[in-house]
Formats: sequence, structure tokens, C-alpha cells
Amino acid sequence: MWSSMRITAADVPALERGAALLGSGGGGDTATAAVLLRRQLERAPEPVVRSLGELPPTARVVPVGVVGATAAFTEKLPSGDEFASAVAAVERWTGERADAVLSIEIGGLNGLMPLVVAGELGLSYVDADLSGRGLPRLDQLAVAATGRGVAPAALAEQSGQVMLLAAGSDAMVERGARAFVAGSGGWAAFALAPIPAGELAACSIPGTTSAALALGRRVLAIGESPSRPALEAALGGSVLARGRVLEVARHVGPGRQGNPGFGRGCVTLADHPGGELLRLEMENEYLLALRDGAPVASTPDVLSVLDHRTGVPVSCDAIRVGLEVDVVRLAAAPFWTDPRRLPVLQPRAYGIDCDPVGVA
Amino acid sequence: MSLRRVLALPGWAEHVRLLAGATGLDRPLTTVQATLDASHLPAAEELTVVARPVAGTDWQIDALLRRCADAGATGVLLPGTEPLTASRLLAERLGVPLLGTGAPPLDLLVEARLWLAAPELDRAGLLLATHRALGDRLRPPEEVVAVLRRLLRSPVAVLDDRGAPLAGDVGGRVRLDEPVPQRAELDDGVLLAHPVLLQRPAMWLAVELRGTEAARADVVPPALAVAAGALQRWLLANRLELERDARSRTALLGDLLRLDTEPGADLRRRVADAGWRLGGWHVGLHIGVPAAVDTVARTQEVVRALRAGDVDAVVVEHGDGWTGWVTFDHEPTAERVRALASRLQAVHRALRLGTHMGVGRPHPRPEGLAATVAEASDAARLAATRPETGHFLHVDQLGMAQLLLEWTRTDTFEPAARALVAPLWPAPGDLVRTLAAYLDAESSIAETATVLGVHRNTVAARVARIEQLLGVDLSRPDERLALHLASRAVILSDP
Repeated sequence: MWSSMRITAADVPALERGAALLGSGGGGDTATAAVLLRRQLERAPEPVVRSLGELPPTARVVPVGVVGATAAFTEKLPSGDEFASAVAAVERWTGERADAVLSIEIGGLNGLMPLVVAGELGLSYVDADLSGRGLPRLDQLAVAATGRGVAPAALAEQSGQVMLLAAGSDAMVERGARAFVAGSGGWAAFALAPIPAGELAACSIPGTTSAALALGRRVLAIGESPSRPALEAALGGSVLARGRVLEVARHVGPGRQGNPGFGRGCVTLADHPGGELLRLEMENEYLLALRDGAPVASTPDVLSVLDHRTGVPVSCDAIRVGLEVDVVRLAAAPFWTDPRRLPVLQPRAYGIDCDPVGVA
Repeated sequence: MSLRRVLALPGWAEHVRLLAGATGLDRPLTTVQATLDASHLPAAEELTVVARPVAGTDWQIDALLRRCADAGATGVLLPGTEPLTASRLLAERLGVPLLGTGAPPLDLLVEARLWLAAPELDRAGLLLATHRALGDRLRPPEEVVAVLRRLLRSPVAVLDDRGAPLAGDVGGRVRLDEPVPQRAELDDGVLLAHPVLLQRPAMWLAVELRGTEAARADVVPPALAVAAGALQRWLLANRLELERDARSRTALLGDLLRLDTEPGADLRRRVADAGWRLGGWHVGLHIGVPAAVDTVARTQEVVRALRAGDVDAVVVEHGDGWTGWVTFDHEPTAERVRALASRLQAVHRALRLGTHMGVGRPHPRPEGLAATVAEASDAARLAATRPETGHFLHVDQLGMAQLLLEWTRTDTFEPAARALVAPLWPAPGDLVRTLAAYLDAESSIAETATVLGVHRNTVAARVARIEQLLGVDLSRPDERLALHLASRAVILSDP
């Protein structure tokens, strides 16, 4: 089914909700990105959203996104040239011109920003991404998990600095990118070398933008304070618990390769009405759910926390004691439950010594 | 053992805090196990001591609590950490005690383990003491009871196989039909019992632990087993003597019953040594028992019962039970014999061993002994099939001829008799009655014709037919005798 569609300003709330849900508690604040996208869609022609099969196999697709501390993104807005600079850098380095862009990560703000980029640069937008959810590290992207490799890649920050990582292991790219954003504004525009559309099917998760849009529409349609079955039906997932947050604990997690670790933490709530204790282990995303001490869900499945009344996803850095929330689980993309890729996203990849739950 | 008790140990009381899960403090505790492994799988009734530093925020604490609850483990001790509220809430919810300590966890583990091993040490000490006190020589039940009473500081008893005390006394009842070590709860303690087995439980050893001694209910059973072993040795040795004695008396009786001349000097000497009398008049008796009854072990019981019934009889293990006799100086009057028989009947009722008893007629002298014993044995065999007489028969009530005829009414003889004359039934003429009458008349055709009221030729024809149908020759004595008894038995059973 070769379908192309356009995303209009009216679609932004649903897409934002879908992308935030898939962020699994991470992926950055979608609100600023949503404002930027709406403004872009209102003032310029809407970018054409194409499915993978619609593109000629030779079409060059550049994966783009925001990397770094996504909280800084809301404080230090884009100047407007970062993405053009990053894309131009990989074009110049590879000598290939970009025909289209796709998102590096559907979950969170990167579910929206690449559409802004497509609009700004006048390129098509491909309905696929390199994560299928929210992911914390570049060396976990689908191109890394399939062995294609992340490099070469370009980073551009607001004051005009551009860095091109020409070659190196995925871990080196991750470390280099993180050093770059730490030394600049806290975030950077990120672009990978163009990938021929014919090769993209093997190293991306297809249809994720349209899926996020559909998910967002379904969830918005059920309104506020939905019943458990209504919410599960809209999500196509399960509600693990519904109740008040009793405790949020944060601490510094184990470091990786000499770098300081991400902030770790856990959230505990009592499920209504039985009082079972649901504990979520989190880093940048919610990673593991324990129900009365027994693991009941884990990454690579998407674990999200929703404000019970509004249904708005609550990110790991915004969760606090006293919120009435629903903890939900959405099944991982089959790409990640494949035994060849599972090690990249299973709990142990985050330093949690627990087998993945619900994966055969 | 419970966790609450461990928390009262000095080191634990000082250094261990209960963080959550107080409702589980009385969960049973049998082992204290240290682990370095975050994914440790606790065993049932185990207190898990986490021996490596662990962050209070670690989700593995929750997972361990859950595994404890699932495995029926007792609790978790965490060293030097403050667990999250989440973990405390979970411990409360699961009822799994969560303990924290600032002291080295392995020191606490050693203290708890020593304390947990104390009952084992007590058990071993008691076992050794029991063995030392009973192991060196044979001791009768009274001494075994005295030794155990001293070691256990509690009432002890040896009971016979029907639960009656042989030595000592205890409250509570032993379940005699379950020959295994037993434990029964009493109001204020525990009754422990151990069977003393030969082929079946021959005795029971029982102890009543009350008050504080009840706490030793798990410590005492091995000592009881050792003491039961001592009683078993005593029983076996005793039994050996009984068997030897029984065998010599049975042999002597056999010699007497085979006697066909005057007894020789040697036999008279053996009889005198046994305390038996050959002169005077003897009234024989025989007590038969089902095959399952151990006659040698019961002899004393039979002797006691006879003595209690005021019967001064010699009793010897013989055949399917006991043979005995009462000796009178002079020929007893019918009145005295009847009185003796009724006393024996009372003894028989009192024995309640599923027995049958026969009593013979008075006969004089050694050869008379064999005769009255033979009558008693026959009567006893008959008594076995006669519930209506209480399985008791006295030959005087029957007369010898009747006694013999009674034989033909037994369940084994009657079907055989019917089978023997069966070919005669379908034929015309009353052939069975004719056969009986003919044999009664000593093969006289004329006499038979008179008795039956038919013509002589009819009798002759019927006799010929009988010989033909049965394929016998009625002039041969063996066949005559068999058919005579058979026809009589058939006619008696359906006249």
C-alpha cells in the first residue's frame, strides 16, 4: 500500500501525544517541538510524508534529530540554521545530496523535529525512524544495532560550530557527540550520512510516524480519566497500575566507560484498588516494572506513565510524589525483540541485571 | 524456631533493627544463609543475609523480598543501608521481615547459626546419654522406664501391644494401629510414642512432655528410638528363653501322647521335672487360635487367665494353640467335671483371642491322658465351626458317637457327601434313603424291605441300580463305610 500523506497543523496534538507516549518517559519535552512544528506547518508548504516503499531505491535519506540534554532544548531554542548546517556537512563529506529526511527517534521531541527540518529544507519526510521508541544513546540506534554503523555523522550547535565524526565505532560516536554537546549549548542538531532508500528497510523501523499519529488520535479520542479497558483499547497495550505515586528516588547510576552515569531513579505507586506496589526503575526512560517485587515488564517494551486525568505522558524527570498516574506498557517493535537486536535494548544494556520480561 | 527469637539474641538485639514486615516475625526459621549474589534464590524457612554492601535504592531488594515471600523464606537482613520506602512498603505488604544492621553481617550470621544448632547439640547429647545408660546390657522395661524418666525429667511408660502399661504410666493415648513413631498434642504438652517391633509392635515406649519440657518434643524422638532398641533386645532374649522352654514342653507332651506302654524311668523323670503328674484322672483341654496369633508370646497370658479362673492346669504350646489338662487324684464326679467345664468356658470368654476351646472326658493314668487330649482336640476343631456354642465344646455334652457324627456336618464333609451320592438323585425310587436303610440293615434285603415297606425284589433292583449308578461294589468295607456316612449326612441335613 503506497500511501503518501501530509501532516497538517491539526495533526500536531495527536502526533505530539503519540511521540511522547513512545518516548517511554524519555526522548525530551515534546511541547516546544510541537510549537515549532505548528509554526512551520502554518507558514510553509506541508512536507510530503512518504512510506519507505514509495521512494525510489536510490533516493538519499538523511536521518536527523536533536541530541544532548533535551531539557536544554526548551531553554535554548534553535537559531534556525543548525539542521541545515548538519545536513550540509554530511552532504559535503559524502558528496551526496539529500532527497529526504527521517527521524532518528520517534519517541519524544525527535518524533516532531525532523518534520520541521523537512519543511525548512524542502525535503520529503520518510515514515520510519531509527529507534521505534525513545532511546538514550546513539550507539543503540537501529543503524548501530544492525551493524551498519553510525558514522559518518555531523553535529551542529546554535553558535555555528559544526563537527563531523568521519569514522569510529558507534561507542566512539556516542562519546564524541556527548563531549561536543557538553562543551556547547547542551544540545545539537544531528545528521547521519545519507542512506539509500533501498537499504533503509533493513536498518529502520517502518511506519512509525503514522503509527504515532494514529496512537495519539486514539488516545485523545477517549478523553480525560478513561476507564482501564478504554485506555488499554486505545493504547493497544496494557495498564500495569493506576494510582498515586508514593515515592520517587533519584541517584547517580553506574558510569559507562569512564563517563559519569545517567541519573537513575525509581518510582513507586500503589495500584488501585488492590494496593499492589508497582515500582518503576528509570534512567532517561522507564526501563523495568516490578509488581510487588516481581518483574512484570521491561525494556525493549515501551513503559510510559500518564497523568491519570489528562492522559499526558509524564517524563522521568517530571515524575513526582502525589501524582495520580496510569503506568502503561506498549509492546516493543518486532525489530527489537529479534534475538539479534534484543541485547542492545534489554535491561542489562542499561546495567539492570534482569532478564527482559515478556520476550520469548 | 522463629525470627522473633533470633532477634532476642544479644548481638541481634543490639545491632539489628526491624525496618518493616513485623507481621512476619513468627515465620518459622531453620537456616540463616549469607549471599553475595543479587539474584539469590532463598530456600523455605531461610533468613537471607545479604553479605555485600547494597544501595538502599537497589530494585534487587524488592525482588529478593518477593522471592522470599514466594519461597516461604523467613526474611532479609541488609547490611549498612537505608532501604527506600518502596522496599519497606513491599516488606509490609508481603509480611516478609526486612532487617537492617550496621554491624558486620557475618558476625550476626554466626551467632544465629550457633543458636539454631543448639537443638541438634541437645539431641546429640541426649542420644549419647541414652545410649550410655542402656547400651551395655539387657534391661527389663522397669529399668528402661527408670533411666528415661531420669534423662527426660518426664513421665515415661512401657505399654503392651494393647496399650496397657507394663511399667510406668503416662497420660494420653497411643494409636496402636499405627506402628510408627507418634506424636500427639496434649492440653499442656506432647505425648511421644515409639513402637518396639518384633514382627509386629510388641510393646510401646511412651513419654509425656509437659510444660517447658514440651519444647524438647523434637529433641527426644531419637533417644526414644534408642531406648526402644534396648527393649527390643530384651524382648528377643526373653523370647529365646520362652521358645526354648516351649519347645522342650511340646516335645515332652508329644512323647506322652505317643505312649503305648508304661512310661520309662527317663520319661517319668522328665515329667516330674516339668512338674506334671501322670497318675490320677485327667481332663484334657485344647485351645485353638487363628494362625496369626503368636502362641509362644501368649502362653503366659493363657496361664494367667487359667489361674485367674481358678483352673490348675498344665498348658503346653501344641498344634494350632495350646493343649492342657487338669489332673484329679480320684475319679471326678460328674458334678466336679461340669463345674470344671463351666470354669473353663469362663476362661475361654475372658481370653478374647479369637480362640476356640474343646474339653475332653476324664480318663485315668498316662494312656488316659492321651485319650482325653485327643477328645479335647477333636472337640476344639468342631468348636471352631460352632459360633452358636461360643466356639466352646465339651465332649460330655455330646457323647462320643454324636461327636463323631458331628464331624459329618462340617462344612468340608457335607459338600463331599452330597457329591458322592449325587448320581442317585435323578433316578426313580428313593435311592438315597434305600441306600441308607440297606447299610443300616447290614445289607439285609429282607430287613430293608420291611423298614421301607416295599417288596424285596424292589429293594434288590434298587441296590443293583445304586451299585451301577455309583460304580461301586457294596460288599467292599471301605466303600460301604464312605457311602454310609455320606447318606447319613445328606439325610440328616435335609430330612
